[in-house]
Amino acid sequence: MSRPRLVVLLALALAAISVAAAGASSGRTAGKTLTIGISLSLSGDFSDSGKAAMRGYQLWRDVVNAHGGLMGQHVNLKILDDTSSPTQVVTNYQTLITKNKVAFVFGPFSTLLTAPAATVANRYHYAFIEPAGGGPAVFGEKLHNVFFTQPAPIVNSADVFAHYILSLPKSLRPKTAAYPSLDDPFASPIADRVRSLLQKAGIKTVYKTIYPAETTDLTPIVSKYAAKKPDLVVGGTQNDDAYAQVKAMVQLKFSPKFLFLSNGPNDPAEFPSKVGRKNIDGIFSTGDWFPDSKAPGNKAFVKAYVKKYGGSAGSIDPTSAEAFATGQVLQLAVAKTHSLDNGKIISALHKGKWPTVEGVLHWNSIGEPQGSDLLVEWIHGKLYPVYPKSIALHSPTAPKPPWGKG
Amino acid sequence: MHLVVQACILGVLTGGVYALMASGLTLVFGVMRVINVAQGALVILSAYLSWALFTHFHIDPFLSVLIVAPLMFALGTGVQLVFIRSLRSEHAEELSLLITWALAIGIEGVLGAVYETTYRSTNTSYANSSWTVFGYHVSVVRAYAFALSLAILVLLYLLLARTRFGRSVRATVQNPSSALLLGVNADRVRALAFGIGVSTAAAAGAVYGVLYPFNPGSHYDLISRLLSIVVLGGLGSVGGAVVAALLMGLVEAVVAVEISPIWSSFSYFVVLVLILLVRPQGIFGTRERTL
Repeated sequence: MSRPRLVVLLALALAAISVAAAGASSGRTAGKTLTIGISLSLSGDFSDSGKAAMRGYQLWRDVVNAHGGLMGQHVNLKILDDTSSPTQVVTNYQTLITKNKVAFVFGPFSTLLTAPAATVANRYHYAFIEPAGGGPAVFGEKLHNVFFTQPAPIVNSADVFAHYILSLPKSLRPKTAAYPSLDDPFASPIADRVRSLLQKAGIKTVYKTIYPAETTDLTPIVSKYAAKKPDLVVGGTQNDDAYAQVKAMVQLKFSPKFLFLSNGPNDPAEFPSKVGRKNIDGIFSTGDWFPDSKAPGNKAFVKAYVKKYGGSAGSIDPTSAEAFATGQVLQLAVAKTHSLDNGKIISALHKGKWPTVEGVLHWNSIGEPQGSDLLVEWIHGKLYPVYPKSIALHSPTAPKPPWGKG
Repeated sequence: MHLVVQACILGVLTGGVYALMASGLTLVFGVMRVINVAQGALVILSAYLSWALFTHFHIDPFLSVLIVAPLMFALGTGVQLVFIRSLRSEHAEELSLLITWALAIGIEGVLGAVYETTYRSTNTSYANSSWTVFGYHVSVVRAYAFALSLAILVLLYLLLARTRFGRSVRATVQNPSSALLLGVNADRVRALAFGIGVSTAAAAGAVYGVLYPFNPGSHYDLISRLLSIVVLGGLGSVGGAVVAALLMGLVEAVVAVEISPIWSSFSYFVVLVLILLVRPQGIFGTRERTL
C-alpha cells in the first residue's frame, strides 16, 4: 500500500472511532431525534431580543430533554439567522420545512417577522406557536395555525390600566388626562384604547398627540401637556421615548398624579438607570412576564435560567420567558394529544387552557390570547405586579410621589 | 407666549449641539470637497467612547472630550491619509462618498458586535437637573452642551481666522491650485482638516450621549439631519452651519409646541426648500462660477 493511501485510511479509521466515541459519550444509542426549526434575529436590529429568545428556547430544550424529550424523542433545535429581515425569515422557514423537514416550527422575534413567517407555516399546515408576534399584522391574516404565547394581544395590553383606574372610587380617580403617543403600531393604538375607555367613564382628555418615530426631543411635547396640568398622563411609548418623556417631565418639574407608559418602565434592568433611580416610584406600565410572577412553573424557570446563563432573576429578558412558554405549549399539546402531528396539535390548542410561565393561556380562532397583561408599578425602587388583584404582589400606590422623592 | 419662549430656549440650546456636529462636516467639505457621510457614525462612535469612559472610569462626559477628541483626530487623519488621499481620479469626490459610507457601515458593524443593539445613554448625576429662570426651565445638561459647543465653535473660528494653518485651510477652500502655487502643503492641510472635522464629532458625541439614547444604528437619522443643516447653511460654510442648525432647532421646537410634533421636522424641511429656492447655494454658500 502506498504511503498516501495508508494516511487516508488511517484518517478515516480515526474519524470512525471518534464518531463512535461521541455517540457513546452522549449516552444515546438508538434514540430518535426530533428537530424543531426556528428562525431568529441573531444579527441586525432585533439581535438582542433574538438572542434572548434563543436563550429561552434552548433552556426549554434542555428542560424537556431532561424529562425524556417529546414522546420519548430527544429534541434538537435547528436555528437559522434571519438578520432581522422579513424577507430572510420567509426563506428560512421555507428551508426549515421543505429542506430540513423539521417536525415543528417555533416563531421568530417581532410582529414584523412573525406575520410573513406564519403565512409560510400555514401553507405547509404547521402549527405556529410564537412568542413575539402580538401585533395586528399577525392576527389580521386570520390564520388558524397561530398561537401567540403571551397573555394578551399587544394592542390590548394597557386595558388593565384603564380597568384599574375605573376600579378606584370616583373621588380618587383622575379628572383630566393627556395622551402623548409614539407613531408606532405598538404604541399609539394602546393609548387610544385606554383613552376611549377612560373618556367613556368621564375622564376629560385635555391633550392628545402622536409624535413621529424620529422625534428625539420630547421636551416641547411635554411642556405643552404640562401647561394643561393633567391629573393623568398615558403615554403610548416604546422604551426610548418613554425615557425621554420622563426626563423632560423631571426637567420641567411636572409630576402628574398618575403616570402610565406602555413600554419603558416595564424594563427593570434599564429603566432606573435611564431616568434616575429617584424618579421611578409611582410609574405604571404593563407587561406579560416578571421574575416574581406567580405563573405556573415560573419559579423553576427562573432558577433554571440563572443556573444555565448566570446573572440574576432581574436580568432575565421577558423575551426568554416568552420563548420558553412557546416550548411549554408544544410540550403540553404533545402530551395531551399523544401525537407529533401538526394538525392534531392545532386542533388541541384551540380548546382548553394551557398553563405556562406566561400565565394560563387560551386563544380565539385566530391565535389572539384571551387573557390580560399584568399592571406593574415601581414601588420603593422595585417593580411589582399590582393589578389584577389575583396576581398582585403589592397594592397599587397613588398619587405618584414628586420627582426625586422615590 | 410662555410656551413659545420655553420652546425657543430649547430650540437654541438644541441647535447649538447640532451646529457643533455639522461644523466638522461642512469644514471637511469646504477643504476637500468630500461629503463625509460617516460624520454621524463618528459622532455615535464618540458617544460610545464617552459612555464607556463614564461607565467604567466615572469620567464626566464633558471632560472625556479631552481624551476622545485626540483619538478621533488621529482616526480622522489616518482615514484621510490611507483611504481618501489616494483617490486621484476625476471621480475622487464620488469615490470618497463611497469610502466614507463604507466607514460609517464599518463603524456601525463594529459597535454592533461590541455593544449589540441595546440603546445606551450617559446618565450623569445632573442629567435631569434644570434651572428655573424667570419661570422658564433651562436644562442643565443642555446648557452645558450649548456652552461646550459654543466654546469649540469659537476655537474653530479662531483656528481658521487667526492662525497660519487657518489661512492655509481657507486658501485651499477658496482656490486649491493657487494655494498650492503659494506653497501651501495641500495634502497636509487636507489631512489635518479632516482630522479636525472628525474631532468635532468627539465633542458632539459626548454631548449627544448625554442628551439622547443611542445605538449603533442612530447615525442614519443623524447624518440626514446634518446634511440638511450643511446644505441650508451653504456647503463649506461653518458660520452657515451654525445659523442653519439654530434655525432647525427653533423651527422644530416652536412648531412642536404651537402646531403639532408631527409637523415639526416637516416644517424645517419646508423652510429648507423655501430658502434654497431663493438662495440655491444656501444661506452663506457661494455660487460656483462656470465659464
